[in-house]
Amino acid sequence: MGREVSESCIDSLLMEMVSTYCNRFYANKPELAARRIEAIGYQVGHQLSERYTMERPRFTDHLEAIKFICKDFWSELFKKQIDNLKTNHRGTFVLQDNHFRWLTRMSIDQSPENGASSEPSIIADDKAVESMHLYFPCGIIRGALSNLGIPCAVSADISNLPACSFVVRIKA
Amino acid sequence: MIVCVAVVGHQNNPLYIQSFTDADDALKLHHIVHCSLDVVDERVNNPKKSGPTLNDTFLGLLYPTENYKVYGYLTNTKVKFILVTTDLDVRDADVRNEVPCCIC
Repeated sequence: MGREVSESCIDSLLMEMVSTYCNRFYANKPELAARRIEAIGYQVGHQLSERYTMERPRFTDHLEAIKFICKDFWSELFKKQIDNLKTNHRGTFVLQDNHFRWLTRMSIDQSPENGASSEPSIIADDKAVESMHLYFPCGIIRGALSNLGIPCAVSADISNLPACSFVVRIKA
Repeated sequence: MIVCVAVVGHQNNPLYIQSFTDADDALKLHHIVHCSLDVVDERVNNPKKSGPTLNDTFLGLLYPTENYKVYGYLTNTKVKFILVTTDLDVRDADVRNEVPCCIC
């Protein structure tokens, strides 16, 4: 179990996967592409959670499982922990990562200072592309939690890059 | 001597059953594994209140039958490992060490 792969390979693979699904496989159907990417993430999260929970004792409740995702799972994947965890104690958790590793290599087209030549549609397109890249980690979180017995829905929020938040809503 | 190993998924679906004795005992071993699934569910739903055993993955001796002892191990993803053995003088600690080796 000691094989290693370089991080830039992973980055390139993920970017290429998103671009292939969006531009070649489901060229005019972004919702289908998003769902396929999220399904790939679901499989990956499912299998990774099996591997990473091998040694540890069982979880007592949902909060323990979410804390496992924030600490151990995230450190195995991204070599850091989730920076901020918020909950409303009614089944919704917000996991905030202030420097999400897979988005650090992505440029953000800042709107120019004068503001006159920036078009809202271009900014919206950039956000759409970036949100495509977040379906995979959302799928990973959903797959990991489902394998631990917690069905949920995960969405991502990128209002201020490179920080990004994942909102986990547990299905009752 | 271990006579049967079973891996059961989280919906109690059998993933792998292997018995290591003669063929005529195989059905009986399958029945024993099937019954032990109920015991696992009982142990999980009514945990003994003592601290160190509350969330252990290794469930220990599930129940002894006439010739066999049945041990159980439950992972975080609700996959159950059932071990049926005929050793009369095997200790808990030995079995506890063997199961993680089986997983890897």
